[in-house]
Amino acid sequence: MTMTDHDRWADSAGAYVLGAMTPRERDEFEHHLETCPACREDVDELRPAAEALPMASPPVLPPPALKDRIMAEVEREAALLAQAGPAADRPAAERPRRRFHFPALTGWRLAPVAAALLIAGVLGGVLLTGGGSRTVSAGPNAQIHIDGDNAKLVAQNMSPPPEGRVYEVWIVPKGETAPKPTNVLFVPRSDGSAEAAIPGSPDDIAKVLVSDEPPGGSETPTGDVVMQAELS
Amino acid sequence: MGQDLRSLADEDVMQLVRRGDARAFEIIYERHSAAAFSLAYRMMGTRSGAEDVTQDAFLSLWRSGARYDRARGSVRTWVLGIVHHRAIDALRRATVHDRRRAGDEGIEERFEAAERTDVEAARREEAGTVRDALSTLPADQCQVIELAYFGGFTHTEIAEMLEAPVGTIKGRMRLGLKKMRAQLGEGQVAV
Repeated sequence: MTMTDHDRWADSAGAYVLGAMTPRERDEFEHHLETCPACREDVDELRPAAEALPMASPPVLPPPALKDRIMAEVEREAALLAQAGPAADRPAAERPRRRFHFPALTGWRLAPVAAALLIAGVLGGVLLTGGGSRTVSAGPNAQIHIDGDNAKLVAQNMSPPPEGRVYEVWIVPKGETAPKPTNVLFVPRSDGSAEAAIPGSPDDIAKVLVSDEPPGGSETPTGDVVMQAELS
Repeated sequence: MGQDLRSLADEDVMQLVRRGDARAFEIIYERHSAAAFSLAYRMMGTRSGAEDVTQDAFLSLWRSGARYDRARGSVRTWVLGIVHHRAIDALRRATVHDRRRAGDEGIEERFEAAERTDVEAARREEAGTVRDALSTLPADQCQVIELAYFGGFTHTEIAEMLEAPVGTIKGRMRLGLKKMRAQLGEGQVAV
């Protein structure tokens, strides 16, 4: 007896709308949805229930300082956008400023979410950044693009990580030998392309590595190193 | 800020956000930050974690406003969807040791959002409806829905945690949501 694609995904619509899948499972299920009206119908039926769930959270007011921080950044970016003029491509107008810099390693793993999973499409390009730009090879299919204080990993034709794993970006700081974990985890798109922001200032980084790790990442590399680049 | 801007519906304000209007963004923040922060707090369990997730979600919204598609739902649903994804990412990045749940800062850390307007009062009523719908589910269905949605756990992790087959867990999620959907009734709860 063979298992059909639909059998494999039977009853999965609930897990999907609750966000209870790994990124890889989610991609595969979305692929299945394209050809399965029954599962699509299930998803459409269950989604409103999942979307109502946030309302079950006890109401808590955000601190006013949070709004001040967010608005300061928004206004800074809006001013840059206005300077760039109406012809500027909106998504490319500003790369988000790193919220933590490499020398401040405190709470690296607990660092804010800002740098996490900046995958392709979020940032179309870099405008209004000073300093020189350069590209460093990270293997046959990947490069690190460095522009001023920002570095980005760009990969093509990248194999997906092994089942149930994700890729994690590691950094070896200058003057050190052990890789430090970052909170950048990613899975390439179905066409094998991927982009991930490298946290910290490139000036402080000796090496960037990518390995496959369990979802949620690891503290020390456990999987195969699939890419590496010497920044200095 | 002009009064005119404040009288616009969310969907129209988003048109301005898309063009880089900081004042329009501020309106979206004012309208939805309490719901966003409440969800982030419930998921992250700490004030600092909730602040990071909320900040990241709103900056992402500001930078990717063009992705909002009114045909696919309300701005509020979109905002809360971004918060939910960001919180899940943050929870899954944390080590098991760090995965704390709502409540570990103590109830005194919480303060209720003021119910100032009719809109907020209506939302409060709807929130009660959602909580009621959840509470009437069989305990095993409610548990898997809460672990998945608020805890950020995958169905496989939940199956291991509860020592039950993955198929059983997925079935409970689906059945529970189906019952909730029936209880909430189509269109009665506008999130």
